[in-house]
Amino acid sequence: MNKIPVIIDDKNFEVDPHKTILEVCREHDIEILTMCHLKGLTDIGACRLCLVEVEGINKLLSACTTKVAANMVIKTQTERIKKYQRITTELFFAERNHVCAVCVSNGKCELQNLGYKVELDRIRYPHLFPQCEVDTSHPWYVMDHNRCIMCTRCVRACNEVEGAHNWDVMNRGHQVRIISDFNTPWGESTTCTSCGKCLHACPTGAIWPKAIVQGQLEKNPGMVNELVERRKMKL
Amino acid sequence: MNRHELQAMAEKAKEKHKQLKHKICVCCGASCISSGSEDVLKKLQDEIKARGLENEIEVVPSGCMGPCNQGPLVKYLPENTIYQHINCENLDRVIQSQIVENKPLEDLLLFADSREKPFVKADEDPFFKKQLKIALKDCGDINPEEIEDYLAVGGYKALDKALFLMSPEEVIAEVKQSRIRGRGGAGYPTGLKWESVYKYISDQKYVICNGDEGDPGAFMDRSVLEGNPHRILEGMAIAGYAIGASKGFAYIRGEYPLAIKRFELAIKQATKHGLLGKNILGSTFSFEVEVRIGAGAFVCGEETALIASIEGKRGTPKPRPPFPAESGLWGKPTLINNVETYAAIAPIIVKGGEWYGETGTAKSAGTKVFALAGKINYSGLIEVPMGTTLREIVFEIGGGIQGGGEFKAAQTGGPSGGCIPEAHLDVSMDYESLVNLGSIMGSGGLIVMDKSSDMVDVARYFMEFCMDESCGKCVPCRVGTKMMHDLLQKIYDGKATQIDLDRLEELAVYVKEASLCGLGGSAPNPLLSTLRHFREEYESKILKEA
Repeated sequence: MNKIPVIIDDKNFEVDPHKTILEVCREHDIEILTMCHLKGLTDIGACRLCLVEVEGINKLLSACTTKVAANMVIKTQTERIKKYQRITTELFFAERNHVCAVCVSNGKCELQNLGYKVELDRIRYPHLFPQCEVDTSHPWYVMDHNRCIMCTRCVRACNEVEGAHNWDVMNRGHQVRIISDFNTPWGESTTCTSCGKCLHACPTGAIWPKAIVQGQLEKNPGMVNELVERRKMKL
Repeated sequence: MNRHELQAMAEKAKEKHKQLKHKICVCCGASCISSGSEDVLKKLQDEIKARGLENEIEVVPSGCMGPCNQGPLVKYLPENTIYQHINCENLDRVIQSQIVENKPLEDLLLFADSREKPFVKADEDPFFKKQLKIALKDCGDINPEEIEDYLAVGGYKALDKALFLMSPEEVIAEVKQSRIRGRGGAGYPTGLKWESVYKYISDQKYVICNGDEGDPGAFMDRSVLEGNPHRILEGMAIAGYAIGASKGFAYIRGEYPLAIKRFELAIKQATKHGLLGKNILGSTFSFEVEVRIGAGAFVCGEETALIASIEGKRGTPKPRPPFPAESGLWGKPTLINNVETYAAIAPIIVKGGEWYGETGTAKSAGTKVFALAGKINYSGLIEVPMGTTLREIVFEIGGGIQGGGEFKAAQTGGPSGGCIPEAHLDVSMDYESLVNLGSIMGSGGLIVMDKSSDMVDVARYFMEFCMDESCGKCVPCRVGTKMMHDLLQKIYDGKATQIDLDRLEELAVYVKEASLCGLGGSAPNPLLSTLRHFREEYESKILKEA
């Protein structure tokens, strides 16, 4: 396949034209922060962490949804981008009730890691402290909305990989919530197959298996893409 | 129906009107209906019948005439005399004076209560004199529920011309030459948009009409859809022919039941007469239109969210590129334009792009419809050439500020726009000039405020609107609008410090640049523009450090 030249952070690369900026950067070990991206699922450009600057375009573009083009000049580490990554992280933490010390994901959480990456020493915005439910109705799993960051990876994993479409989103703005079926308790779902893919797709401690205590949760988000790849091979 | 039958039908409709001595239009736009115009219409029709005048005088319901807060309005044609605040009681006096004695009834003439000498011929009134109606032409003069009325004023002539005398390339060239830009607010050149959809090769393309008008205080699209639905259909069909689409969708917000009813009726009539459907007017072009009703989400006015909504999905936007022109409805090349843009297409095709481009400014051609609202004497619907100054709109057309108050600011573009202060009253109303002032043209809402308005409160109100209407998909808009709203509330309550104001400004720029779609991208505009022009009001509310 013909490769095209692009410049990323002042370095020249020859890349595959069908790939997104994110894919190209990851291949070349250029770090791009992401939260709503999970390999194997459709990208939606929602978390805005992967924003990059592209010369000649006055808008910031999400690397996960933008394809590379010949002679594109991409900047991933400008002051503006770093500043926005930090604000986005602060907003994530301020939005719901993230208390690492009591969380099953403590030490293995993508949101926590993001905090370390952007060197988050404090959150400058007031915490919203919304009233969120903890749905324990499923026999094996728990959905804790306090820890949900609305990345919708569970929704996409359930819909695109398992094909069950148990999860979806309701409401608007800061009142959005992940729902099971038509907003019924997870345990009463008629579509959930209890496959557990959502659990592995979830970047935080929002979805976890019962009988796990603080800091014990082991997730394998890569399993989603492994499944997708395995199915391709079977075909 | 073939093109000759169309011509014959138009002639017949014209002939019928020639035999009448007078035509009386009773405004049956949503605004006049809400103040009782349907009863007036019924009574007037009964009275004309009772007097045996039905062969001389035709009484019809019409679309919006413009001065909405003077309604219900009754227009007497061909004299073009408009009566205001007509109800079933004072209607008798109008009939006695105007119809029986053939003498205008002075005290009920349009603006009789506010002008020293009201005008018998409405088009001489300053409210109408400064206007130039292209998109709104015929709106208010014809019965939107009768296709014959539209044919009598030259309706579907543009479609006929496009189908039989022009190639799709020529249609696009004509639209390009007109230099018309998208009337939904962003102002992208319509001709270029048509051309890019035309260039994509696909087995199926779609035309979408965006009638999900959600800005508070805006009612341009509603009035056009209610007053002249066939004009929109004709524009859509011409667009379909130009880009090679056989299917169109009109997405109309659910809060506009009358617009939906009239538009659906228009589709039925046009289909019955072969102006939509298979082999239109006997040509090889087929095109059908379906209505989709919005469920009350402001974000569905954003094109990618609107497309998702038509597909039956949750109405949330998608990152662009790819643009709808490449991958839109069901992944097919899709042309999406605003109601008002389609309303201008038929005249452009009939009279030519050059003719249209003669009006307006160098970069913004043609006319723009504005919905005047707020503390203005004559609120309502107006259409003016691009480049008309804000001063002309507010003081000459709109008759100045209510109660002799002082002008403070005009808000254009709704929750995505900004406030223009008194110092810039002479700004030319075109896309670039408004952006330079930190506002936008938007779809055409224009809210006038007097000195009693608190600009921090104005910014807070619009931020609350955006916060409620954010779809919640991307973080900057979902959490950022909530944070900005809370900070604005804190400032308004007098509890904020300079640090809060600095954070607010930083967040505003972040939300503007980092958001996924236009809703978040423009949500900080009212805040940023009031900060720019009225910073002292913010600072006066900030707690001073001890």
